[in-house]
Amino acid sequence: MVGLIVRLRFAMWRTAMSRSPLHLVSSIVGALAAIGVLALLGPGLILLAGQPVRITALTVPLFAVITLMWGVLSLIATGVDSILDPARFAVLPLRASELARGLLAAACTGIPALMLAGLALAQTGSWLGHPAAVPAALLGGVLGLLTAILFSRAVTSALAAVMTTRAGRVLGAVVVSLVTLLPLGLNLLLTTGSLAADLSSFDATRSATVASWTPVGWAWALPFDVSTGRWGAAAVHLALALLLIGALWVVWVRRLDRTLTSPLTSAGGQRIGHGRLLPAVLGTSPTATVAARRIRAWYRDSRLVGIALRTAVLPVFFVAQAVLTGMPGLAGVGVVTLAVFAGLTLMNDLAFDGPAWWLHVAVGVRGWEDRLGRALASAVVFGPVVLLTYAVSVAIGVIGRPVPWLTVIVVAFLASLGLAVAVGAVLPGTAPRTGGNPFAATSGGAAQGCLTAIVSFVGPVVLTLPVAVAAAVTAGSVPGRWLTLALGTAYGLGLLALGVILGGRRLDRRSPEVLGQLAHAQL
Amino acid sequence: MTEVGPGDPALELRGLVKEFRGRRVVHALTLAVPRGSLFGLVGPNGAGKTTTLSMATGLLRPDGGTARVLGHDVWADPAAAKAAMGVAPDGMRLFEQLSGRELLLYVGALRRMPVDVTAARAAELLAVLDLAEDASTVVADYSAGMVKKISLAAALIHAPRLLVLDEPFEAVDPVSGQTIRTILRRYVASGGTVVMSSHVMELVEGLCDRVAVIAGGRVLAEDTIGGLTRGGSLHDRFLELVGATDSAGEGLTWLG
Repeated sequence: MVGLIVRLRFAMWRTAMSRSPLHLVSSIVGALAAIGVLALLGPGLILLAGQPVRITALTVPLFAVITLMWGVLSLIATGVDSILDPARFAVLPLRASELARGLLAAACTGIPALMLAGLALAQTGSWLGHPAAVPAALLGGVLGLLTAILFSRAVTSALAAVMTTRAGRVLGAVVVSLVTLLPLGLNLLLTTGSLAADLSSFDATRSATVASWTPVGWAWALPFDVSTGRWGAAAVHLALALLLIGALWVVWVRRLDRTLTSPLTSAGGQRIGHGRLLPAVLGTSPTATVAARRIRAWYRDSRLVGIALRTAVLPVFFVAQAVLTGMPGLAGVGVVTLAVFAGLTLMNDLAFDGPAWWLHVAVGVRGWEDRLGRALASAVVFGPVVLLTYAVSVAIGVIGRPVPWLTVIVVAFLASLGLAVAVGAVLPGTAPRTGGNPFAATSGGAAQGCLTAIVSFVGPVVLTLPVAVAAAVTAGSVPGRWLTLALGTAYGLGLLALGVILGGRRLDRRSPEVLGQLAHAQL
Repeated sequence: MTEVGPGDPALELRGLVKEFRGRRVVHALTLAVPRGSLFGLVGPNGAGKTTTLSMATGLLRPDGGTARVLGHDVWADPAAAKAAMGVAPDGMRLFEQLSGRELLLYVGALRRMPVDVTAARAAELLAVLDLAEDASTVVADYSAGMVKKISLAAALIHAPRLLVLDEPFEAVDPVSGQTIRTILRRYVASGGTVVMSSHVMELVEGLCDRVAVIAGGRVLAEDTIGGLTRGGSLHDRFLELVGATDSAGEGLTWLG
């Protein structure tokens, strides 16, 4: 059975790669990245062999963090390995434990697992200077590898259970969005505190001891314990690591069992209010109606909730960093970046509608109504966030020159909106599937994704630069500042209008073709 | 603006051609649906029914030929053609974050109907189609049959003169199916026109006035039900027309 599932995985992989160049490219890039990580970290780890224990002990916190990140990353990348979705085995006469063994073996043959296995092997190399610790390192590596893989399986299958309801999906999106911001938080800590990089005085023993008593560090602590002669600690760590693996296995098999016996996971029944507020505020024209639907989507659609949260939390980091480092320009750049991001979220707005957009085509919605409605929705959702971040930054005094910065922020937001509604009508991009995994990559679509990325990076800069220069030049004079703000706003609105007209014209002329593109827009 | 005469067919397809990656799936298809008829489109899987209906409703650009709705050219004057018809495609998603009621209000607003008219009609449609209890549930949580019914309601809300329905009875329960039949018959009696595709011969035979048999992207036959069946059943006539052979008759003996 195990061999059969592993072969099935490779067969499906091969078919996927031969059918889509995107899949092939991403597999090659993934393999190259894995080889790169191995080539970079592997020799470094083996070089630790010549160092005293206080330095070699570094492997314990390092691999504990890798194991933890493994679980976190698997949350973001759950869509990646859906090739072997356990629900597909539901009609076959299979026991959960049998299937789990097969899926585990299949997971071990994946690129990420092979990379981790390589690193675990290099970790064994680190302990070559302490012969007694080598078998312990090898055993620890195997147990650590199992912990990481089972941890990610258990976490994702438990999360999948939560996410069978729509409310659960929103909750999951919130949790994962915040978790993915962890690296930014770490970065914040690193820039404030200073790390000791001096090898002669460096001592990893303390952090190794701390890490060794965390669940993700139990297995990796074995060689450290043995080399320092603490056999009691080693025995406890070994027992704990085995217990953890057993517990994760049980959790995962239980979840699999549930999936096999109740594969139809959509637990429905989300009821909503009458939604009278938005039509009352915006009116009932087609444009306002499109806007109201998109605004509702920002809080009803789990795929968008995650994006909205990440976009909204981002500026907090910029502002916090500006306060901590005391660099005056940083907060301004942060708010401008937020404005650009907020505007560009419209770029693949059509992809979020996907094939459901046929309704606009069948009804004959005018292109400019579609475009303007979406721009309006983004302005209503993100405008206040951008302005609030700006106001807070000004209030705590991290933005030196409020009016010129405001000019740049307003123009960047309007220009990005205009760019997104124009380009989005030609390249609708891709989005995660409706009701599917909200964490599947939102980028992608090889060539199209590349082009969109270039446009997204270059476009806002080119469009905003003239006004930024004007704002900098006129910053000295009071009437000059305000005049630039007024003219800049008019210029930004002009860009938005141009985007709406051009994008709308494209939709009017090519709506069936755009609908054809959207048929494949959801991954 | 083209002159629109009262004698124009409700739907007129002339020489429609569609190719996908060089493979022709619809071959110069010509078809006229007279006003006030309930017109059935039948054909085997992959016959080109959905492709044809998509080209007739402005969802898929044909590689050749014309489609006219009540005299309006769908591809030269899409706004007028789309205003005159209601469409419910098969297997196309709806805006799933909207509730059933919101979806109907949304379509009404996009069609520039007054809000109170839309709201009243939406309530009536939801009640008649037995969706009133789920009016506030998001469409994502609807069953397949409920999605069919809400699509039909969305196509009906602006009281179009032509209704184009792809597989309208699929997954619909018998009670709702009967409701939909009654709605369609009454709609046609009042002068409306329905074009619907279906796999179910008995359904088409009992419900439609006229029927066209499509296979391989061509119209094999088009007539009134009586004219086509000539006393036999539509089922047998259909199998005869598409040249079906009973391929399961010989093999699979191990199945008992």
